[in-house]
Amino acid sequence: MIVLRNGRGTLLSVVAVGLALVLAGLALSPAAALAAEELKIALVVPLSGRWARQGQLKKMGAEMAIEEINAQGGIRALGGARIVLREADAGDTVEKAVSAAQRVLGREKISAGIGAWLSSFTLGVTEVAERLQVPWFTLSYADSITERGFKYTFQTSPVGGLQAAQALDLFLSLAKAHRTEVKKAAIVGDNTAASVFFFKPLREKLLREKGIELVVDEIWTPPLADGTPVVQKIRSAQPDVMFFSATALPDSIQVLQKMKEFGVRLPIMGNGVWLLMPETVQAVGKDLIEGVMSSVGAHPLKGQEPLVERFKKRTGEPFMVQDSLMAYVHVWIIKEAAELAKSTDPRAIRDAVGRLDLTSGPATALVPGRIRYDERGRRVGATTIIVQWQGGEPFTVAPAEFAMRKPLWPSAR
Amino acid sequence: MPASELVQYVVTGLLVGAIYALMSIGLALIFGVMRVVNFAQGDFMMLGMYVTYFLATGYGVDPLAGALLIVPPFFLLGMLVHRVLLVRVTGRGDPQREMDAQLILTLGLSLVITNATSMILSPTPRAIQTAYATRAFTAGPVLINQARSYAFVMAVLLALLVWTFLTRTDLGKALRAAADDPEAAEYQGISVRTMHGLAFGIGVALVAAAGGLLATYHPIEPTVAVNFIVLMFVAVVLGGLGSIPGAFLGGLLIGLVQSLTLLVLPLQLQNVGVFVAFLLVLYLRPQGLLGRRLRAV
Repeated sequence: MIVLRNGRGTLLSVVAVGLALVLAGLALSPAAALAAEELKIALVVPLSGRWARQGQLKKMGAEMAIEEINAQGGIRALGGARIVLREADAGDTVEKAVSAAQRVLGREKISAGIGAWLSSFTLGVTEVAERLQVPWFTLSYADSITERGFKYTFQTSPVGGLQAAQALDLFLSLAKAHRTEVKKAAIVGDNTAASVFFFKPLREKLLREKGIELVVDEIWTPPLADGTPVVQKIRSAQPDVMFFSATALPDSIQVLQKMKEFGVRLPIMGNGVWLLMPETVQAVGKDLIEGVMSSVGAHPLKGQEPLVERFKKRTGEPFMVQDSLMAYVHVWIIKEAAELAKSTDPRAIRDAVGRLDLTSGPATALVPGRIRYDERGRRVGATTIIVQWQGGEPFTVAPAEFAMRKPLWPSAR
Repeated sequence: MPASELVQYVVTGLLVGAIYALMSIGLALIFGVMRVVNFAQGDFMMLGMYVTYFLATGYGVDPLAGALLIVPPFFLLGMLVHRVLLVRVTGRGDPQREMDAQLILTLGLSLVITNATSMILSPTPRAIQTAYATRAFTAGPVLINQARSYAFVMAVLLALLVWTFLTRTDLGKALRAAADDPEAAEYQGISVRTMHGLAFGIGVALVAAAGGLLATYHPIEPTVAVNFIVLMFVAVVLGGLGSIPGAFLGGLLIGLVQSLTLLVLPLQLQNVGVFVAFLLVLYLRPQGLLGRRLRAV
């Protein structure tokens, strides 16, 4: 009898609690239904492994743009919808990058994506985005990214195949402005993919077309045992410019140290953001790196000093490089596309991107200040710029109309 | 090819070779006394570079002085490593099995040191900024790097100091006795185990000092050891296993060959000359430059 009474009481308690929960749920539902829609952006970049630093910088840029957009009211055409970032770690292999993209795009409704930094990663990730019909924005350089007839891939950087030629033209215009005639060139660097991509067109075609003789061609497999023979050859041949790509920092340090010791002064032209990182100046030293130039797809430009200051204040980074700037711009582009589409549907956003032609606003913080993509998904007018180290910080020095600083030019030998 | 360029390459080769020589002496001493091939030798050099770096950047200690200051603590570290780890795989049982155990132990130690350093200090390369690393003495058209010159002088002095210790002190002679005939040395009251600890401590201290000298002009990163351990092995074998003067000469020769190779071969093959010389010596003089033919058992 006692047991029966307790059993009956317990059952009643359970029923009561259950009813309370159901009622609570009903009470919450109407409130949830009234919340504004969110625009979700996927960010697939390396967040661990050897390129984690690059991925973190991209994340910083994206987060800053999102914070700014949300602070000024979100996406107005969607009733103030907020932007939310969904990050996924691409890791250090193509397989991991593709898996990350599949997870983040498959889990919930994503309106657009950004990443994946390395061209090889981006080639894999954009396959996923194309299949799932999500517009994808990348700063990766490889031509092949936008040679596959994909509709949902948008390549914002100048393509690799054009960069060496653009960089050479820009460099020669700098040389001319400083009354330097470039007759002889040196190619110095390692045999990593990034270096080959820069050196190959120079060596095989571009220098010859400009009537420039290649007098030093020193390539090594990292690590470089000793910088002396490299610089000794430069010292003997006396080229007018050195195209430089030693992507392993210790090798860069050795070559630059040896050049200073041997008193070899000439313009040094590199390629890629690896040469413009805070870690680069920390390792090499600002005296050694002074005057070294690098061609990249993006870097803060004249007039963007307030943007850079906001970035520095927000992140604690000593300066801003292309990884953060590109991610920042990509978020703003997606925002403008969403305003035009009046929708968070990825297909609608893709169509809106196809119609975009922006010439003002934060989305246009890239040379030449216009955001428009052609039918292949390449940005119209995208061009390489030259950045130079001055006083321990990298500044855009060419093209002249976008330069933050005047270029330093080594005095005549 | 002007003669001055040849002289430039020779000078550079010798300056670098002296550092290789100092590293190699440490390895040769350990092998000569203990018959242990220390695969972690390069990593102790890397630690020496880092300590010198932190002394320079944190306390303003010139790296040339730092390279000397680190000798006593690394000596103690070497003795500690011997006491804690290496005694377990030396001086007992089957020599072949011991050799296997030694290889695995020192290789494991190498992996632990490298990866711990990467985790704690990050893989980002660092460099000590000194005025003399980017300056040269001039001798006509030949430029002689100041940092390497100072490192060369100190390497030679340290090597002479070791040689003096080994040949002119009772303790040094005891070390050599333990190397020549451990059993007989034990009968004469020399503690072979203590001698092993002493040898390992000195060997580690020397390679750390070499690392400190190297840090005056070479960038520092956790994986820097792999670039040098192979050269150390080649120098030791080249000079004759167990021979201290041989190891020194082997190191100089490697620096020279490495530099001169670039006169005739492209940069990508910078170490080919080293290994060609290595093979030639093994073929023509298998006991090494200053080695002795091992007595028949």
